Amino acid sequence: MGVVRHLAKRALFLTITFILAIYATVVIANGGGVIDKLLKDQIQFELRQRYANDQHYRQLPPEKQQEIFNTTYNATIEARGLNEPFVAKSFRYTIDALQFKLGLAINLHTSDGSRDVGAIIFERLPRTLVLFTVANIVAAVFGIWLGLWMARKALSPFDRGLTVLSVTTFIVPPWVYGILFILLFGFTWRIFPTAGWVSAPPPPQGPITDALPPVIAMGMLFGGFFFNSYVRAKYRRIGYAVMLGGLAVAAAWLIMPYDYYKDIEWHMVLPAIAVAFSIFGSWSYTTRNLVLQVMDEDFVFAARAKGLKERDVLNKYVLRAASPPIVTSLALTLVAAWTGAIITETVFNYPGLGQLFFVAISNFDAPVVVGLTTIYALLLVLTVFGLDLTYSLLDPRIKAMRR
Amino acid sequence: MAAPVPIGLKAALLDAVRTKSGMVGTGMLGFLILLAILVPVFAPYDVIKAWGGTDAWQDNPKLAAPEWSEVFSGGKHLPRTIFLTPAGTPGGFLKFRTTENVSDGKGNWNNFTFLGLKKTFGFQADDFPSEMTVYLNTMFTQAGNLSKPPAISVIFQRPDNKNLTLLDDTPRLSTTDINRFPNTKSNAYAVSQPIKDTPSYKILDNLREWLIANNVTTRAEAYDPQFYVQPEVLLFAQLDRSMLSKSTAHVLKGDYSLRIELVGFENTDDANARGIVFGTVFGLAGTDDARHDLLVGLLWGAPVALAFGTAGALVVVLIQMILGAISGWYGGAVDELVQRAADFYLIIPTLPILILISLLYRPSIVAILFILVAFGIVGSTTKVVRSIVLQVKEEQFIEAARSYGAKKTRILFRYILPRVMPYTFALIALTVPAFIFLEASLSFLGLGDPVLPTWGHTLGLAYNNGALFYGFWWWIVFPVVGIIFATIAFALLGYAFDKVLNPRLREQ
Repeated sequence: MGVVRHLAKRALFLTITFILAIYATVVIANGGGVIDKLLKDQIQFELRQRYANDQHYRQLPPEKQQEIFNTTYNATIEARGLNEPFVAKSFRYTIDALQFKLGLAINLHTSDGSRDVGAIIFERLPRTLVLFTVANIVAAVFGIWLGLWMARKALSPFDRGLTVLSVTTFIVPPWVYGILFILLFGFTWRIFPTAGWVSAPPPPQGPITDALPPVIAMGMLFGGFFFNSYVRAKYRRIGYAVMLGGLAVAAAWLIMPYDYYKDIEWHMVLPAIAVAFSIFGSWSYTTRNLVLQVMDEDFVFAARAKGLKERDVLNKYVLRAASPPIVTSLALTLVAAWTGAIITETVFNYPGLGQLFFVAISNFDAPVVVGLTTIYALLLVLTVFGLDLTYSLLDPRIKAMRR
Repeated sequence: MAAPVPIGLKAALLDAVRTKSGMVGTGMLGFLILLAILVPVFAPYDVIKAWGGTDAWQDNPKLAAPEWSEVFSGGKHLPRTIFLTPAGTPGGFLKFRTTENVSDGKGNWNNFTFLGLKKTFGFQADDFPSEMTVYLNTMFTQAGNLSKPPAISVIFQRPDNKNLTLLDDTPRLSTTDINRFPNTKSNAYAVSQPIKDTPSYKILDNLREWLIANNVTTRAEAYDPQFYVQPEVLLFAQLDRSMLSKSTAHVLKGDYSLRIELVGFENTDDANARGIVFGTVFGLAGTDDARHDLLVGLLWGAPVALAFGTAGALVVVLIQMILGAISGWYGGAVDELVQRAADFYLIIPTLPILILISLLYRPSIVAILFILVAFGIVGSTTKVVRSIVLQVKEEQFIEAARSYGAKKTRILFRYILPRVMPYTFALIALTVPAFIFLEASLSFLGLGDPVLPTWGHTLGLAYNNGALFYGFWWWIVFPVVGIIFATIAFALLGYAFDKVLNPRLREQ
């Protein structure tokens, strides 16, 4: 029961945090009334323009004109709900946001013209999710593998060099690498497309199965890697074969005809590399340190005494014991990636959530900003809750502590 | 065997600096600090205040690569900027002036001034200049309808003697201070890229006629709307059909002259001139599209980044440390409150809210710092310090202090905080880059301080002006190198502290 109560307490706390974060966003996004003033000015301007072209209106005496103008203006303000006091309005906006009634955007729209904020966000959400999830997985797998290797060769020149590399690379955010990579791989060597999501004009539409090879290749590579981590030496040949197969699929994908889906995936390579490059260091450094710490524990000593191979000791005993802190690290890098996406996507002109956020604030499109922050906050809260859940499952000490 | 973990503040500092990464990090940081001290001396803040204007930079070439990049151009000698200094300065224009009074035979005397300005300059580079501009100061009677502006012609003499008249004009502006450059009353003639409906625009037609006269092109072709005249190429190219395109044209090396002839209608008329043949390379770090010397901006980025990063990191980490220590030391309701606040701060999307605030209120760099501190009162450091305090709490020297009746606050500030202090060094060193990058991110989006040319600001301008697309690499690479250099210095220091204070990572 302890776990359930613990989780229930966390859920309650996270819900309160979520509500507060959204209220803060609503207050800031409306600039304490700044946006309202902008909107009122805009309405006034539009009305003036409309009446300036109205011959009938222009023939009326000035007092009559003013009266008609004021009536229409007040009616419009009333209809848009702009005359309420700011505090009341902010509560109304917050409740709307919490119910995901995100409303209509002021300027922005989806590619097929809908101004519904929900539609705008969900058009872009999958792109960001795919890009950052793939980049995070690649960085995590590569980083853990590297960290294990560094721990095995601790204090050698190889370990020292890679430690310094890890420490220095993960501190630089992905968009800085992004700019350099665009300059080098995009414009100087012309290997990858430099920006965007598809080429303009887009290449011919192929069957959706064309999108699969990279997914399969990645699955085979990681599958083989994990398989090999947990099986005995004589079965590892299978894992290597699977990984080789993955490489073959990747190679085959490279020579496949260049169609719409391949184009999209090809556009995602450079941003994904930039994101992965700025994350892997934190993985390898954390893994190395944790593994070195766990390595001194008695149960590892016992495993060694049993005569197990060093590699099995690492993969089965050390890594498993070190995994809860590693999961924390995963969640926190994911959280950082969500918010960091704003500038990374702007640099790559990648039409995901981050770029949408920047376009929205540049256009003073308050409904989109509030909607996006709601989604961001929700994603963060869900990530943290997922972390709590995983922790309570992975770490027996939490159960014991809370009982 | 591993040495014991250093306990004192000073011991930890010394130990960390003595490690290899600590030494490198300290060296890099020392270099940055030296730069931060020297830059305001050599390039005073006035330079930065003039950054937004154009006057201070108009003598620099536009978008010029660094001079040393010549090494990669395959042995080419790239053109530097050539200044044709005004008459009266050493090596300046040669000036000849005479006046003459001519009678029209009916008792009216007409007063004439004849004036010639000539400057010869050698052009030995393997590439064409990027631009050419002539400034002319003239003095004449200027009184509405009774104005008597002189007639001038600007003649360009080439080494092959295929000379041409660039333009004939009557200047509109008169100045009494003809020898002063820059002068708000200078008549500026942009020889390259002349603007339509300015006197310089005649240059394009004069060049067409010159090409036709020299049988390079036909009249029909020269006046075709598709025909593109590039004065800075045509003037300095060998005279044949290849000169019509910059990619095929060959540079004509030798001595060129710029001659300005003036006929004035008063005895008092006078003139002086100044010319600039802009090069394609400039200085150590090149220039941007507003002709800024990027070196100045880059160097000024160091003190700004250092001050911003260190101030922010110090304040935030110290506040978080004290709150974490209080939380761990007092426990109970205080602990619960601080920990929940830390969770809350970790969850709210800081960067989006920060961008929002920056856009709506356009804060200065100091205000941004305050906002960042407000968003960092509690955070991950609070949690780390709390866990350390929970361990320290059980140690014997605390028990000893308690036993002789020390107050709780006294124990916290005199015994616990000094013990925790060394651990925060690593955190401070690793937080500084975070602050530098936050500022850079905001500046990159154009939301940073509107005046200061920070690294992020320069980078944002470069990105938005298509530096990547056009290959103005110097505009991108140097700010990035600056940011990465500064952050690596702090990362190495942080790593050194981590290594000294975390016994399991220590070298044996």
